[in-house]
Amino acid sequence: MIFENLLATISWSNVGLAGVVLLGVGLLLVAMLNVAYAKLAVKPNPVVEAILGVLPGANCGGCGLAGCSAYAEAVAKDHGLMGRCGPGGDTVVRRIGAILGIEAAASAPRRAVLHCAAKISDKINTTRYQGALSCAEAQMVPGAMGCPYGCLGYRDCVVACAFDAIEIIEGLAVINYHKCVGCGACVKACPRALITLLDFSEDPMLVIACSSIDKAKEVRSYCNVGCVGCGICAKLAPNTFQLQQNLAVIDYQKYGRWADSEKARVKCPRQMMLLVGKNAKIKKIESEKAIVEN
Amino acid sequence: MDLVSKLIVILISTTVVNNFVFTKFLGTCPYIGVSRQVGMAFGMGCAVTFVTTLSGIMTWLINVKVLTPINMPYLKYIAFIMVIAAMVQLVEMYLRKFFRSLYDAFGIFLPLITTNCVVLGICLFVDLWQYGFLEATVASFGAGLGFTLAICIMAGIRENLEWADMPKALRGAPITLIIAGLLTLAFMGFMGIIKG
Repeated sequence: MIFENLLATISWSNVGLAGVVLLGVGLLLVAMLNVAYAKLAVKPNPVVEAILGVLPGANCGGCGLAGCSAYAEAVAKDHGLMGRCGPGGDTVVRRIGAILGIEAAASAPRRAVLHCAAKISDKINTTRYQGALSCAEAQMVPGAMGCPYGCLGYRDCVVACAFDAIEIIEGLAVINYHKCVGCGACVKACPRALITLLDFSEDPMLVIACSSIDKAKEVRSYCNVGCVGCGICAKLAPNTFQLQQNLAVIDYQKYGRWADSEKARVKCPRQMMLLVGKNAKIKKIESEKAIVEN
Repeated sequence: MDLVSKLIVILISTTVVNNFVFTKFLGTCPYIGVSRQVGMAFGMGCAVTFVTTLSGIMTWLINVKVLTPINMPYLKYIAFIMVIAAMVQLVEMYLRKFFRSLYDAFGIFLPLITTNCVVLGICLFVDLWQYGFLEATVASFGAGLGFTLAICIMAGIRENLEWADMPKALRGAPITLIIAGLLTLAFMGFMGIIKG
C-alpha cells in the first residue's frame, strides 16, 4: 500500500524528461568521442595485437610491467620476457612462442649451449666465496670457482629459464634439451656470456665446452678440463676446428659429423668437447645427481 | 577591469591559496601514486589540467543551459561524471597518438583521472560558487594548475629522497604521506588570504 502511494506521488513526466536529457548528453559525448577517434586513432602492431589476444587480460602487473598491453609490446621486442605471465602460465607461454615463431621449425631448432665443462671437482685453486648466491655477484670476486671464464654455478640461468630447462648438477649448469625452446633468457642472464644459441642441424651437436682464453700453464692451474690450446683438434680436422686466442673454435658452417671431428673429440687430451642434444648420452648424471647448492 | 582582477584572484585562489590537494585533500590518489618521477608527475598534472579545464567548461554549459532551465539540478551528479569520463577518453586518445612515450609510461594511470575527486570536485565547486562562464573556465584551469604544482613538488622531493637512507618501514607510501602533511603545513601560510 505504501508502495502504491509512493508510485502515485512520482511525477512520471519529470522522470521521462530526466531520462531524455541524460540520454541526450550521453549521445552528444558519444558523437564527440567518435569524431575524435576518427582523427586520433593509432594503428596497432598486428603481432602485439595477437599476443594481447592470448594474454589473460587481468592487468595484474605480476610480470613487472604496467598491464597486459605493456607486456604484449615488451615481449614482442624482447623474447626473453616470455615466461613472465604468472596467471597465464605454461599455456600462454607456448601460445606466445607460437606467435613469435620461437617454437622450433622442423629444420634446425635453435637451442642454448653452454661453453663450460668443469664440474665442481674439476675446478682447482678456487677462492672461498661467501657472498650472495648469485653469479652476477660472484663474478666480481676474482678467483671464485677458480677459472675466470667458467661456469659459477650460482643459478642465475636456472632462475631466468621460464621452461625449467637448466639444472645445476655438481656445480655446472646442464641444459635439458627436451625442455629448451631457445628463447634466449639464459643467454642474457649469464654474466660471463657462457651460453650461446646454436642451430642444431643434427642431434647431438659437438660443442667446445670451454671459454678460457688463457695459456696452457694458467688453464692447468685452475681447471682439470679446460682447453689448453694444444691444437690437436685443429690438426686433425682443420676444416672444422680453428685455434683462436688459445681456445678451440668450431666453425658451424663447415660442421658435420664427419669421422675426423669425432676423432678430434676423442683425441682431445683434456676430454673437453661435449656432445649435447636430445640424443646425447648423458653419462652417469641420473645416478650422481647431486644438486650442489654452494 | 573589475572582471580581469576578479579572474586573477580566482586563479590565484584555486592554484595556491585554496589548492585542491593541500586544503581540500582531493586528488590524493594520483598525488601519491604517480609522484615518483618529476617527468611522469608533470605529464599527469598536464593531463589532469586538460581534463579539468575541458570538463569545467562542458559541465558549466550543461548545468546552466540545460539542467537549470528544466529545474533538475540534481541530475548534475550523473551528467558531470559522464562528461568527465568522456574527457578522459579524449586525453587518452590524444596522448596515445602524440606523446607515445608518455602514454607507455603512465597510460595505465589515466583512467584514475575519471574517478578522481579533484575533477568532479572543481565542477561541483564551480556550481556551488555560482560562477559565470569565464570565471568557471579560469577556476577549472587554476585547479588543474594547482594539482600540477602539488604533484611536481612532491615528485621533486621524492626523487631526492632516493638518495637518503630511509628506514625500511617508511619507504614508499608512508614517507609520502608524511611529506604530504608537511607540504600542507607549509602551504597553510597562504590560508585566509582569499576566501574560498
